[in-house]
Amino acid sequence: MKRFALGAVSALVLAATGALAADYPAKEIQGIIQWGAGGSTDTVMRSVTPHAEEILGGTVVMQNMTGGVGAIALNYVADQSADGYTLLMGAENPLLYKVMGLGKKDYSDFVPVNVLARGTPILVASPNAPFDDYAGMMAYIKEHPGEVRFGATGPGGLPSVVTAMIETIEGDLDVISVPYDGDGPALTALQGGAIDVMPAVLGAAIEGIRAGNMKPLALFDVAKSDKLPEAPAVTDFNAAYNDYLPWGPFFGVFVAKDTPADVVEKLAGAYAEAATNPEFVELMNNRGFTMMNIAGAEAESFLSTWQQNTTWLLQDAGLTKTSPEEFGIARPGK
Amino acid sequence: MGAFHDFFQVILNPELFLLVGLGTFAGVYIGAIPGLSVTMAVSILISFTFSWDVLPAISLMIGIYMGGVYGGSRTAILLNIPGAPSAIATAMDGYPMAQRGEAGTAIGVTTVMSFFGGFIGIGVLALAAPLVSDFALKFQPRDYMLLAVLGILLVGSLSSGSLVKGIFSGALGIGIGAVGMDPLTFTERFTFDIPLLTQGISFIAVMIGMFGVSEALLQLHNIDLPAVRQKIDRIVPSFNTIKKHLPLSLQTSTIGVIIGALPGTGGDIAALMAYDHAKRVTKNPERKFGDGAIEGLVAPETANNAAVGGAFIPMMTLGIPGDAVTAIMIGALYIHGLNPGPMLMIDQPHMFWFIVGTLVAANFFMLLFGLTGIKLFTKIVEIPRAFLIPLIMMLSIVGAYAVNNSINDVYWMLGFGVFGYFMRHYGYPLGPVILGVILSRLLDDNWRRAIISEREDLGRFFGGLFSSPLSTVLFVAVVLIFVSQTPLWTKGKEMIFGRSNRSAS
Repeated sequence: MKRFALGAVSALVLAATGALAADYPAKEIQGIIQWGAGGSTDTVMRSVTPHAEEILGGTVVMQNMTGGVGAIALNYVADQSADGYTLLMGAENPLLYKVMGLGKKDYSDFVPVNVLARGTPILVASPNAPFDDYAGMMAYIKEHPGEVRFGATGPGGLPSVVTAMIETIEGDLDVISVPYDGDGPALTALQGGAIDVMPAVLGAAIEGIRAGNMKPLALFDVAKSDKLPEAPAVTDFNAAYNDYLPWGPFFGVFVAKDTPADVVEKLAGAYAEAATNPEFVELMNNRGFTMMNIAGAEAESFLSTWQQNTTWLLQDAGLTKTSPEEFGIARPGK
Repeated sequence: MGAFHDFFQVILNPELFLLVGLGTFAGVYIGAIPGLSVTMAVSILISFTFSWDVLPAISLMIGIYMGGVYGGSRTAILLNIPGAPSAIATAMDGYPMAQRGEAGTAIGVTTVMSFFGGFIGIGVLALAAPLVSDFALKFQPRDYMLLAVLGILLVGSLSSGSLVKGIFSGALGIGIGAVGMDPLTFTERFTFDIPLLTQGISFIAVMIGMFGVSEALLQLHNIDLPAVRQKIDRIVPSFNTIKKHLPLSLQTSTIGVIIGALPGTGGDIAALMAYDHAKRVTKNPERKFGDGAIEGLVAPETANNAAVGGAFIPMMTLGIPGDAVTAIMIGALYIHGLNPGPMLMIDQPHMFWFIVGTLVAANFFMLLFGLTGIKLFTKIVEIPRAFLIPLIMMLSIVGAYAVNNSINDVYWMLGFGVFGYFMRHYGYPLGPVILGVILSRLLDDNWRRAIISEREDLGRFFGGLFSSPLSTVLFVAVVLIFVSQTPLWTKGKEMIFGRSNRSAS
């Protein structure tokens, strides 16, 4: 009897693994989106995944799981079995969890299926601000210390990284930093005049700039964007930015680390093809995102470089809770 | 001419027309189930309608939105469980009416008034959108804070009985809202190093527990009492009833549109503020508020449906969402290749008129689906308690679980249900708790933003307060309402009136 049970169990296990490798996906795949409905991550994932579904020949049921700056979704997916039936659809934030004290896990506990695209930061000002470009802003801040209001979204958010970058290069800024829930509410406040300057992602600001409701001070990239040629690159004002740029938030699809290699390969293939869909590419282009569409070793190295650069930048600006060194994140070699 | 065509497009195209109807119908029932929210339904629809054209997708979403905002009132009236936060105020007078056997009348008034409020909202959207959105942008963190303070003063009108107990309830609500990771600094507050608490306490779980479960527990006291027979002779309110409440409904609709148009506030706060306003301006209600006053239904229902049109105002003119649902719709427009933002009205003017037209159609469908099937629904209240109580419990558990698919939320919900039962037992009102939770973040975040913006200098803060006309008006309103709730006011009134009487004689 015992032997029979043992045999049955091992047969089951064999059958299960066999099924996994050959006809994945055999059931619905769950896609956990780290951020709320309507946000950038949500929009990107909901527009690329249907194309990937078609290629995979399965369904991906997407669900928003918010909270803890995305850590709740990340921990949830990490706790599911590593069989490729639970995908994490996330942004850059997890790479900062460890140093910010937000969690013990990050993307090193996952395998990247695809890093889809990255965003470009841009510094925008309210139309009534008494300066028109980056140089003017810096001069104004020097003359009027403690007057200019910068929007922020909490430590680890894009504005905090951009501000840390400016402070590393230009020295400490004497400005007021006003915290908001996200770049959407902060850009609304900018248009109402509650704050003067906001570091935001290009896609979120582009329509407001076109309408003249906010003005671009500098694009945080090494060259101008063809989406917004009137915005000068910040490297034109100060070449020191070349050391840190290009930098930006990104979006990616991940699975838990021990997922079978052939499943990862199948998923990666589907998302790589989906990311070349002309409709998706056009959507990303319209929103001012730069397509990356990388996977495997290339994505791994992108993620580790990103983490090194950003965590040390925040560490040097005194924004971290624990030094990156504690987690074995080496200082970027210069 | 183009605008005209775009406006009627939804009616002339049978497919779109059907989708709006289908959406509204689904919305009414999704809205009625606590925990199933319009926000959730619309975000699921984004994936579902991915391959569709933009117009059918938007038609369906708008239908669900309009129906869902209205649907929350159903369970509020019949079971005292608001289907959505914006129906909390509706439960306060709607449920007492159902207990008197007037559920049919209550649903009828609610439906017609929701329809009316919906129209005011759409009208303002169609005619004055740029004006209202300019006004909404003027609200600074300081003004949002004052608005929240104004909201907190509603505690007085939400607590029948002891004001002290009401204040305690309100403070408890604000405390509950503050638990968890602070979104501005990511600092943990009131978490006591318990991982469960870092996520905060789901507001919907608190609401469902306090209203649903505590109601079920309370019903256990009189389980053998026969259920109330419902009179269903009059469902559609008479023209006279509507005419009588026209001035009030115009005022509360205006409150709804403005609160709805503000990017930081939505239908829940609008409904509560409107309820408070009604209580203030209604001199001689036929029945006391909280006992089943018609005015207590008219005000929140006009306001929360007017807030729908209001929420579209910043979305259409600036690409800024007026609430959570319009935030998702903006995402949907992106996915469908449009670029919602301040240029949408210039690049795609037809989209604006199409949305206005769809809202109008959805509003009519809401009236239709709202007024049919009432007889069947009122039967719910006539179910013997031995069946009704388990039904309420099941609905509460499913609802609490559905919000985040989290079993922890169910435990929170049950915990707050038992706690709410004891609160009610000892005469602590539950309305202020929910009010506190809703306003907690608005008050806290904006107070901090306001004072940080002034370099943490109280003098500069008050300087700013009086240099902006908007802030000054709000501040004066706060002071007046506060004083009017203290004995000082009645004394002062006596003195002034006493003197004027003498001088007249």
